[in-house]
Amino acid sequence: MTDELTNGQDNQDDPSAGPSRRGLLAGAGLFGAGAVAGGLGGYFGHSGGGSAAANTSDVVGDSDQTVSFYGTHQAGIATPAQDRLAFGTMNVVSGTSRSDLRDLLKDWTTAAARMTAGQLVGQDNQPYAPPLDTGEAVGSPVSRLTITVGYGPSLFDKRFGLAGKKPSALTQLPPLPNENLDPDYTDGDLCIQACSDDPLVAFHAVRNLARIGMGVVEHNWMELGFGRTSTTSTAEATPRNLLGFKDGTRNIKAEQTELMNQYVWTGPESGQAWFHGGSYLVARKIRIFVENWDRDYLQDQEHVIGRSKVAGAPLSGGTEFTEPNFAKKSSTGLGPAIPMDAHMRLASHEHNGGTRILRRGYSFTDGIDPQRGTLLGGLFFIAFMQNPSQFIKLQNSLAADALNEYIQHTGSAVFACPPGLKKGQSWGDTLFA
Amino acid sequence: MRLDGNRRPMRGRTSRLTAVIALITGAVVVAAGCSSSASKSKTTADSGKTATVSISLTPQGCAAKPAKVATGDVQFNVTNKNASAVSEAELRTSNGSKILGEQENLTPGLSGGFELTLAPGSYELNCPGASQEHWKFTVTGKSTGASWQSNPQLASAVKGYTTYIDEQTTDLVSSSQTFCQAVNAGNLNQAKILYPKTRVYYERIEPVAEIWGTLDTEIDGRWENPVTVASQFIGFHRLEQLMWSDNTLKGAPALCSGLVKHEQQLLTLVKSAQYNPLELASGATDLVNEAATSKISGEEERYSNTDLPVFKANVDGAMEVVTLLTPYLQKKDPSLLAQIKQRDAAVLTALSKYQASPGYDDTGYVEYSTVLDTQRRTLSSSVNALAETLSKVSTQVGTA
Repeated sequence: MTDELTNGQDNQDDPSAGPSRRGLLAGAGLFGAGAVAGGLGGYFGHSGGGSAAANTSDVVGDSDQTVSFYGTHQAGIATPAQDRLAFGTMNVVSGTSRSDLRDLLKDWTTAAARMTAGQLVGQDNQPYAPPLDTGEAVGSPVSRLTITVGYGPSLFDKRFGLAGKKPSALTQLPPLPNENLDPDYTDGDLCIQACSDDPLVAFHAVRNLARIGMGVVEHNWMELGFGRTSTTSTAEATPRNLLGFKDGTRNIKAEQTELMNQYVWTGPESGQAWFHGGSYLVARKIRIFVENWDRDYLQDQEHVIGRSKVAGAPLSGGTEFTEPNFAKKSSTGLGPAIPMDAHMRLASHEHNGGTRILRRGYSFTDGIDPQRGTLLGGLFFIAFMQNPSQFIKLQNSLAADALNEYIQHTGSAVFACPPGLKKGQSWGDTLFA
Repeated sequence: MRLDGNRRPMRGRTSRLTAVIALITGAVVVAAGCSSSASKSKTTADSGKTATVSISLTPQGCAAKPAKVATGDVQFNVTNKNASAVSEAELRTSNGSKILGEQENLTPGLSGGFELTLAPGSYELNCPGASQEHWKFTVTGKSTGASWQSNPQLASAVKGYTTYIDEQTTDLVSSSQTFCQAVNAGNLNQAKILYPKTRVYYERIEPVAEIWGTLDTEIDGRWENPVTVASQFIGFHRLEQLMWSDNTLKGAPALCSGLVKHEQQLLTLVKSAQYNPLELASGATDLVNEAATSKISGEEERYSNTDLPVFKANVDGAMEVVTLLTPYLQKKDPSLLAQIKQRDAAVLTALSKYQASPGYDDTGYVEYSTVLDTQRRTLSSSVNALAETLSKVSTQVGTA
């Protein structure tokens, strides 16, 4: 993978700042094969030892590749979707002051810049202090880790004096079709989206930021995604969701700068200067009743989606990337080739006055439904957009979606993801200015 | 005292300390004393070379050659040529109360050893089964590096903690005796009221009690630890199960006297125990971890639902340490101290929502089963924040 794809079109900073975890740790005794060097002082290896070790590593593919933390926009939005997700929402603990919150965002920035560069949160460990880094990612290649932060509507209430800084469209979503929301998976003052090709690296990022935030923020809910379901770059192949269909064929791609500017990045219309160059993140936990879906016959599955299952071509003909022809009649002559209630028709920009969003979702599972004894999993839908009204419009269109028989939205949240940072800046600098 | 397979895996102040010491000394066998000058870590004494001491196990005893070494790292090589009645050598503190290092299971023809970093002073070398079991061993020189003992604030904190543990354990025994009187009299209602009142003494000092291996399990073990074997489920929680779950005192008097017997053993051990500042600090964190884990879930007092008073006892025991260390921390890291106090106040505020008078079973709190999951989460968040801050104390005192 080439560097220009690491974080959209706007990151000019050196993406390989800092040695990789693997490089840092090669030779460290506790987890590697080397001898224990200098007792606990050498617990996580030594700074500056990276380059030589990194050159001799047996890294497969691009696993040592870093995505720059800095840039015009936050990484993790236009970045080609990584394979794994750890998504945590947090609430600010009562009694927290404005300056506490600001300090936390600063600490998070420092830690996130380190982790995304393949460095541990800290390595100046003392024998009688808990290790600065929790350690599970030691030895794991950074695997394009990105950490993206967002602010929920509730952060802009009276608590921190931020009411005047609230972006105009940042509100809870209205009630939407086919949802049965579980309060345990709804809302949050803050969110952290960590994406990496290595699940441990993504999890490690959220865990360590939560640890740093203890006493200021508390976990609200968390979800792990085990397979990307969207393509956000023309360089990526289209993955499949748990329905077994290709997902994201018609998604906005990071290379489509005009569409990104028109539908994804915020600007003056957001009403807040600090938010220019940011994006709204809508998260929806969508349960798929996979057992029911798996019982549906193939042709019906294809009619529900509007595409062929294996090739992913629209039912109007062609191959995966052929533009759908919604007017084309079916071969039987009864109605259109892409049925009126097909998911891809109702979700299409043609059907929604041109409205588009950048989808960046992941498959998830929470194990087994304790009441039903069925698989508890589905799509952890994440989408970025210039205004949540885009999602609201699309979701209302999906009220007639044939797929609704097999899915249910059970979690929901909206966040305002601030723009990217320059070196030396911290999250919250402009918000609290 | 060794790492004991019966110990609860989740807890483990001693196991944690032992792990640290093992890393530092690289010892073949390390038995961490609960205080032990021996565990003065290599961080302050790693410049010197290692002295080698040979110990030959004979029917007559275990004389060390040499019997006097300079302070620092000491490698003990133990061999047994022909002593069939003697199979181990152990180095203890001079009063014999704590094992610092040992080599066991040396039958004739076998050899082994252990390494320790030893501070100056007198030690006792033991070889049970020999005609002379106790031998003297001396370490000369000056202590290397700074010692907490020369810091009056830390020394005073440790002294205060020793007193506190003595008091709490003494009260534990007497309170248990009162509880057992009600049990023996067949007064179930009174016994139920006295149970949580007795528990709090233990829950304030539990990390100390855990030092002595199985004693914690015998006093405070739950059904699921260490193993689900009825004959080993004999302490507080078996009595709790009888009273609340089975609504009876049948069989309780025998259990109760066994409980008191184990508590008295604990008291004897506590009377001669020595602590160090690191143990105070890590013990405080462990106590709040306990509150955050087994109390929040309600599993600790699952039959009686009297989790709230023992939750408070865990926090109290931890904050006693903070109080004792306050003069020291005030100088060393006042912002850390301020944060601890602020977070402790937040815990007490969260907990105060559940105070009641006289409360459930006269505990001063509501029955824990009435505290909803969302409310428990708030309580948990506050207590985890406190624990996280407390975990930063150890490095402030551990290297002093």
